[in-house]
Amino acid sequence: MFEIGKGVFVDELRNVSIRIKEIEEEEILEEVGPTPKPGILELRKWDHKLLERYEPFYAPVQDFCNLCTMGPCDLSFNKKGACGIDLRTAKARLVTIACCIGSASHTAHARHIVDHLIEQLGEDFPIDLGGEVNIKAPIIKTVIGIEPKTLGDLRKALEWVEKEIVKVLHSTHIGNEESYIDYESKSMHVSMADHVGMEVADIAQIVAFNFPKAEPNTPLVPTGFGIIDRSKPVIVVVGHNVMYSRPIVEVLEKQGKIDAFEIAGLCCTAHDIVRTNSKAKIFGPISYQLRVIRAGIPDVVVSDEQCIRADLLEACKKLGIPLIATSDAAARGLPDANDWSVEKIVESLISGKLPGVFLSDPEKVGIVAPIVAEAIFNKNGKNRKYRFFASDDEFRAEVSKCTQCMNCVFACPHNLRVDLGMAAAKRGEIRKLASLEEQCLACGKCEQVCPKNIKIINAIMFANFEKLYNKTGRTRVGRGPIQDTEIRKVGQPIVFGQIPGVIAAVGCINFPDEMKSIREILEEFLRRKFIVVTSGCHAMEIGMIKDEEGLTLYEKYPGLFDAGGLVNVGSCVANSHIAGAAIKIANIFAQRKLRGNYAEIADYILNRVGAVGFSWGPYSHKAASIATGFNRLGVPVVVGPHGVKYRRAYIGKPWKREKWWVYDIKSRQKVFIEPAPDCLLVAVETKEEAIVQLARLCIRPNDTAQGRQIKLTHYIELHKKYYGDLPDDWHLYVRTESDLPLKMREELLKVLEEVHGWKIDWNRRKILEGPIRSYDAGFNPTIVEEVYEKYVR
Amino acid sequence: MKFEQPFNIANIPGPKMALVLEKGKPVAGMIKRAKRPLLIVGPDLTDAMFERVLKFVDKGVQVVATGGVIKRFIKAGYKADKIKTAVLHELANFLVDPEWKGFDGKGNYDLVLMIGSTYYYGSQVLSAIKNFAPHVRAISIDRYYHPNAAMSFGNLWRKEEEYLKLLDEILAEL
Repeated sequence: MFEIGKGVFVDELRNVSIRIKEIEEEEILEEVGPTPKPGILELRKWDHKLLERYEPFYAPVQDFCNLCTMGPCDLSFNKKGACGIDLRTAKARLVTIACCIGSASHTAHARHIVDHLIEQLGEDFPIDLGGEVNIKAPIIKTVIGIEPKTLGDLRKALEWVEKEIVKVLHSTHIGNEESYIDYESKSMHVSMADHVGMEVADIAQIVAFNFPKAEPNTPLVPTGFGIIDRSKPVIVVVGHNVMYSRPIVEVLEKQGKIDAFEIAGLCCTAHDIVRTNSKAKIFGPISYQLRVIRAGIPDVVVSDEQCIRADLLEACKKLGIPLIATSDAAARGLPDANDWSVEKIVESLISGKLPGVFLSDPEKVGIVAPIVAEAIFNKNGKNRKYRFFASDDEFRAEVSKCTQCMNCVFACPHNLRVDLGMAAAKRGEIRKLASLEEQCLACGKCEQVCPKNIKIINAIMFANFEKLYNKTGRTRVGRGPIQDTEIRKVGQPIVFGQIPGVIAAVGCINFPDEMKSIREILEEFLRRKFIVVTSGCHAMEIGMIKDEEGLTLYEKYPGLFDAGGLVNVGSCVANSHIAGAAIKIANIFAQRKLRGNYAEIADYILNRVGAVGFSWGPYSHKAASIATGFNRLGVPVVVGPHGVKYRRAYIGKPWKREKWWVYDIKSRQKVFIEPAPDCLLVAVETKEEAIVQLARLCIRPNDTAQGRQIKLTHYIELHKKYYGDLPDDWHLYVRTESDLPLKMREELLKVLEEVHGWKIDWNRRKILEGPIRSYDAGFNPTIVEEVYEKYVR
Repeated sequence: MKFEQPFNIANIPGPKMALVLEKGKPVAGMIKRAKRPLLIVGPDLTDAMFERVLKFVDKGVQVVATGGVIKRFIKAGYKADKIKTAVLHELANFLVDPEWKGFDGKGNYDLVLMIGSTYYYGSQVLSAIKNFAPHVRAISIDRYYHPNAAMSFGNLWRKEEEYLKLLDEILAEL
């Protein structure tokens, strides 16, 4: 190293290479906002604003705490434990821990990928998401304040995330926080960090693995139980980090053998393996893990991380299916085979000497898996697939063991009447047992409590085999980000309300009812020209449910981010593109600056962008942090009934008028507003309730009269359709007669006058008195003082 | 005191679990003594149960329909203004706030009866009321034992006649 002194000309520097270590934002297009790389406290004020309006609501699963040795402590009726923590704060702490787990999961995924890719490609490997994506990392830019251009930049973002996770996790130790509100702020903080971690992970894999780059018309790939050609060896990949299994596809392509094998995935690795190569296929979510394994479909299973059954090895072992565990997050007690020769690994697995190996070297996995699959396929006489029982007689013998003790019913998450199904099956009538398959999560709790050790899952699947086999459709491959040009087109209609809303259906499959309900819910909104975005397990479930014409939603609706479009962004980590799209609206349409400017952007989204998250069957910690991250960003989330077990919700109280206010930058006044949206996180009970709630939560204070009219029309129509009458609260959202649905204007004006006591000028059909506030086309709402000060000048 | 197992076997909330109600009459007594009783009706109802729910409405008990069950009331000819509608999660949040003035603006409810809610969902709502709403007593008159209620019928879902008899006992006293 030497310094260039005065009087040295550049042309005198021969044979010298200059490496510039870091340029602090050479292309400074925007000044940095107030909160780049925020710590726990920088956005606390924003959180407290949200939590003042959307008060945390706790529903404990347990009324005691046993996290330390002074306990267990009885906290029922909000008592305090030995450490001084009360029940409410203990639950807030538990939610914070759950969000830390979720955030750490995506971030560890990102860390694995980024480190591996930098080792292979170097830290200067550029980030290129295609010509239509100029704002490449909207979350990173908004939260951290940098615009990553290389893999090395992504690593910098990751360092910030990891630091924040550690700090928040620290706060959950005994003897730290005593305010439940501050715990909620911390859970929001770590969940915002989660969104950064997800963005890092997905950008890294898109650029390095050459996934689709924001293309709306990605290929459609076979999805569901019956996708496999049983005359081929089958490699099943399961988990959430495709880094380990992707080389399998590469090796087979290189060898020209890709068509001689079947490669199919379970959970988000399925999404990402088809983003790698559309010759791969998708089986389904976690509820398909035992369906697929028990049916003897795989010849080898390659597991990585997250949402994989903790008895995967045992399940594979029973069927003689070798398992290759690849992620250090789940080594499954298997011997480390990384230093072994390929021959030794293959021999150990084929001979059955070992039920599986731990092999985290992706390149070796790529070589080993196909060899093992082919050998096992041949060993089994090519004749094992799609069999839950060897014969009908074996099935009958199994169900005849049932004594109707009902232990299975008490253990089942949905209390399915397995006893009745078994009793009927004993008599030769299998319809009742078959019908349970539609709702069965294949979690196996029933088998754990069965005194006769009946293979209940196998029996249910066998009974419904034909329908299960034919529940096979097509999923549009995850496209990754939304294009800037798409945002440019829809930004205004979303903010003004002419596009009635964006419904983001994401998350797990702990559905309360039959899986087809997710299709019914989403199609209601697609028909009404909402934008529907999806990812993860929801995205693959809708890929296997067909209508009478045999079409899935992906085949009926285009993949555009536009009214009536159905966009599959990809796996769990691709959820970041949904949050990113909301952020991009603020930037591209409204020219709000992003760098380190989180509170302003979230405030913009809360007041203007009618986007609602929806998770019909959430169960994971990752779903908790994804939802909480959306909440901090000002996006409300509706979850299915199992979501109530997350223990905490954010629900507003519309009857507390003092909570519903904004500063109007135009009139320079504090204005009381309608409760829109009135919840940030709420669990609903039925699909009808989900539909109505989603429509209502798309309403925003900034809607134009035309936009409000459209949104109210959908809300009222859906309420009438599913509940049979007008909603109780529709009048709260009326500011002017122009907000009223055209076809119902007369009728609704009458209701306003007669039921709610509003004054109406019937000659002009005008509202004179009654609304919470009047409508002003220039209304410019914010709840952040600094934003008000910034724009009021 | 009778012991009952939660319908969902692992739903053991802690030291405080519901007393098992073996008769309907005491429930009627509680309703009569309550200043502001509220019956929360969910979607998991047999026809025979719904028939009894309508009798509660006829006897002047304020009913709130959750989970979209309002449509069933409307089909049965009950006007929507007599039956309120709510998302149970939101309603629970209102109930735990002593400042809530109820559906009619006259004040929060001091006795909440629950029937027909999806079991695990209703259980969590009862947990919130139990732990954070000392001003509300929650009674489950469902056919499943709900440990998070203050008092609950036992697991009677396989003994429909016995269960309906309990509901009839309550109604007879109102």
